[in-house]
Amino acid sequence: MTFRQFAYRNVLRNRRVYAAFFMASVFSVMVFFLYSMLLFHPSIENTFLQEISSLGMGIAEVILFIFTLFFLFYSMRSFLQARSREFGVLLLLGMARRQLHRLIFIETMLLGFASIITGIFIGFMFSKFFFMIVKAIVQIPVLPLYLSWKPFALTIGAFLSLFAIISYIAPVFIQQGKISDLLHGDMAVESVYTYSKSRGIFGVSLLLLAYIMATFVSRSSIISLFFLLPPLITFGTYYFFTDTLPLILHALRRQKQFFWRDYWMISISESIVRLKENARMFFIVTIVSTIAFMSVGILASLTSFASQYREVNPLGLVYKSFPHNEYEYRHIAQLTTELEQQDIDYWAVRFRVLQQQSSYTKNRVNIVKLADLNELAMSFGEKPLQLEQGHALFLPASASDASKLAKRFVHTELAESNMSLEIKGIYPYRLFPPNALGLNTIVVNHLDFDRVVEQSAQRSLAFTYYAFNIEKWQETKDIGLSINSQVLASIVLENKSPVRFEFENPGLNYSHIRMTFSLLLFIGLLLAGVFFLASGSFIYFRLYTSLSHDRKQYAVLQRIGMTDREFKKIVNRQLIPQFFFPWGVSFIHSVFAFLSLQVIWDALAEISIVKELTLVLLGFTVMQIFYFYLIRWRYISHIKAPTS
Amino acid sequence: MNSQMKKPIVKMEDVTKIYEGKVMHRALTQLDFDVQEGEFVAIMGPSGSGKTTLLNLLMATDIPTYGKIVIGGVEPETLSQNEIALFRRRQIGFVFQEINLLQMLTVEENLVLPLTLDGLPIEEMKDRVQDMAKKLHLEEILERRPDELSGGQAQRTAIGRALIHQPTIVLADEPTGNLDSKSAKDVLELLEHINLHERTTIIMVTHDPIAASYCDRVLFIKDGEFFNEIYKDERRQTFFQRILNVLSLLGGNVNDFSTVRLP
Repeated sequence: MTFRQFAYRNVLRNRRVYAAFFMASVFSVMVFFLYSMLLFHPSIENTFLQEISSLGMGIAEVILFIFTLFFLFYSMRSFLQARSREFGVLLLLGMARRQLHRLIFIETMLLGFASIITGIFIGFMFSKFFFMIVKAIVQIPVLPLYLSWKPFALTIGAFLSLFAIISYIAPVFIQQGKISDLLHGDMAVESVYTYSKSRGIFGVSLLLLAYIMATFVSRSSIISLFFLLPPLITFGTYYFFTDTLPLILHALRRQKQFFWRDYWMISISESIVRLKENARMFFIVTIVSTIAFMSVGILASLTSFASQYREVNPLGLVYKSFPHNEYEYRHIAQLTTELEQQDIDYWAVRFRVLQQQSSYTKNRVNIVKLADLNELAMSFGEKPLQLEQGHALFLPASASDASKLAKRFVHTELAESNMSLEIKGIYPYRLFPPNALGLNTIVVNHLDFDRVVEQSAQRSLAFTYYAFNIEKWQETKDIGLSINSQVLASIVLENKSPVRFEFENPGLNYSHIRMTFSLLLFIGLLLAGVFFLASGSFIYFRLYTSLSHDRKQYAVLQRIGMTDREFKKIVNRQLIPQFFFPWGVSFIHSVFAFLSLQVIWDALAEISIVKELTLVLLGFTVMQIFYFYLIRWRYISHIKAPTS
Repeated sequence: MNSQMKKPIVKMEDVTKIYEGKVMHRALTQLDFDVQEGEFVAIMGPSGSGKTTLLNLLMATDIPTYGKIVIGGVEPETLSQNEIALFRRRQIGFVFQEINLLQMLTVEENLVLPLTLDGLPIEEMKDRVQDMAKKLHLEEILERRPDELSGGQAQRTAIGRALIHQPTIVLADEPTGNLDSKSAKDVLELLEHINLHERTTIIMVTHDPIAASYCDRVLFIKDGEFFNEIYKDERRQTFFQRILNVLSLLGGNVNDFSTVRLP
């Protein structure tokens, strides 16, 4: 048997130990590969993918890489600890340290190769399916499966270097420790019972301070808090796990009334050890899941922003033509023919918008005809309104404007046409996107409108506004593309040939926004999925490391006369804190973070993110509970298994 | 002898245990003996004689292939998993060679552990811990953790844990195996004391003839079969000598000759 064969057989025969590690690595490789497949997809590169999503994907890859590095690093350490007895035997048999390092190096690399190949293979098999999900979520044209060396090269390169780093560093973990310590199995857990009272109180007060600040945040203080809160929370969380929790649990321990009841004694004292041993790991898991919660929550709320898009943009297409626009009729003809060609029902109304000086405010005021508005309103199914001569209504530019103007009565005189008007209240229906017809707009009846036109001749025309009411507004994304590119071209050329029109296609914009956000959300969710899987696996590895110790303990308890049900309850009470403490803390962190984010959100878009957030947090909770049962099942069956 | 009038607390009738696996192995063959209430019995035999199997059967982690075991009037074989656990919790106390205290609990908590499972009132638990601590001289170290104890202290704690629920029978597996001679002596005297004053039945499996000499009766088994039994006499010294005599017959070359002989 050569040395390499020995290493190979080690891995193969330790496969139960390595299985969880292997699976987690395969999963990271797979997700990484799927991202790369999407990142390098030929039809994504040149067509639909906004820069922001491809940037997001790139960042996701980097985060995934770094996280996988940490993850493998920690799990590797746990495994080597679990196998320390075996290494002790090898050293006792006369293996040189250098050889032992080589053994571990070869084993890790073997495992690395295997997981890279498996991960890419599974990833490639699922990539069509993955593309279909992306397509369904993002609503893009079919993504064909493609074959290119790039995603393969990126994935293999990234993970090969990653495993090389890990397998180079890994032996360091067993360098310390004498042979007898190794043989003895689990390394001594010293300082498990030490904690500092002051640091414990310090940690919890940091957290409380941060929470209070996050709750009472105002628009003015949010920027400074943005820089203050993350470090506060980070340090607070760290001390919370290393000192505050032990402090609380030790206090509980002194309450014999409570502590000496049922299985609490075993489970709490076991939790003390576990929480202390794994405090740093819990800290990492907490911070990572907080970030994951928050990014998913933010992305989900962006998606909700998109879904409120229609409310803000009730019109299907908008064409705004300023005087001296040579393209006006050509463009309108083009739009109508394209709509007809694609069989999209529409209702177009042409608004002539006049502009006059108001004697009341000295501001420019835009004037539209009620008849035109009525025509558009009828297409939305609203009733037409009546207006007497000499009377007018405000046409509010936005919802907040509407509430301000609703009770306002104004007498005004239009300077150019010498016309006096009574403006009473607002036009009640919201038919336009915000600021569509100008900030200061009134509605008059057709007689007054015609008089203004007569009195002030041509100069009074501000612009002509074509409003297309289209029920199937999401289907218009291919309408007027050439007009769009004309606008784009003029932006690129800046002022050399300014266009005398504006064209807006909410259907197209919406599909862009939606695509970007849902793609980002999808990336975020996948990333959160990896974090989530990994944090669960951390716990599992730690459990695995202490398995021999736990088995002994189980045997003792069995002899004392513990029933199976009681044992399960004890396992529950041991596992639940490990699973749900980091998760619960990050949950609370996120809730407070979103509390303060809501302030920004209110300022930006007047939308609420409560619904999305509840969904996100609920989703994670369900997954976590599922994962908890899965791992509990594995753990109990390992514990009960006859010594292997 | 003088235990004739007492009722047997453990009855083994023709107990045979066969392990079936890739290699079939007969661990016990028609073992048949009683243990009287309040008796202190040692079971001796060379390695592989079936002592561990016997102990496993007694603590109901295993069931006999043939034969019948009755412990305190109950046949463990007929109980459900749950009932067996309760049976162990209430009827049996265990002391092991590997001391097996729960590392994360203090001495006091280790002592009280079996009681908490049964949900006794807290005051009674405290009383019993105090009693036990006094009896076993553990008062000073109640707050310590197992890794801060000497071997003897740890084993005393383990004995305390085995006794605190006032079991009908205590099973001990090499309780002195890991101890120095002074601690071993302490532990054995403690067991003897408990047996005398609390009338607790103790069955102890051991290799050590000195340990066995503290008992009322020593039962020898060999290759899973009953070999011999001897009773205590006036002086421990002579009892010890007699145990050694039986052992010299039991182990080593003497038996090699006997197995050569054909039936």
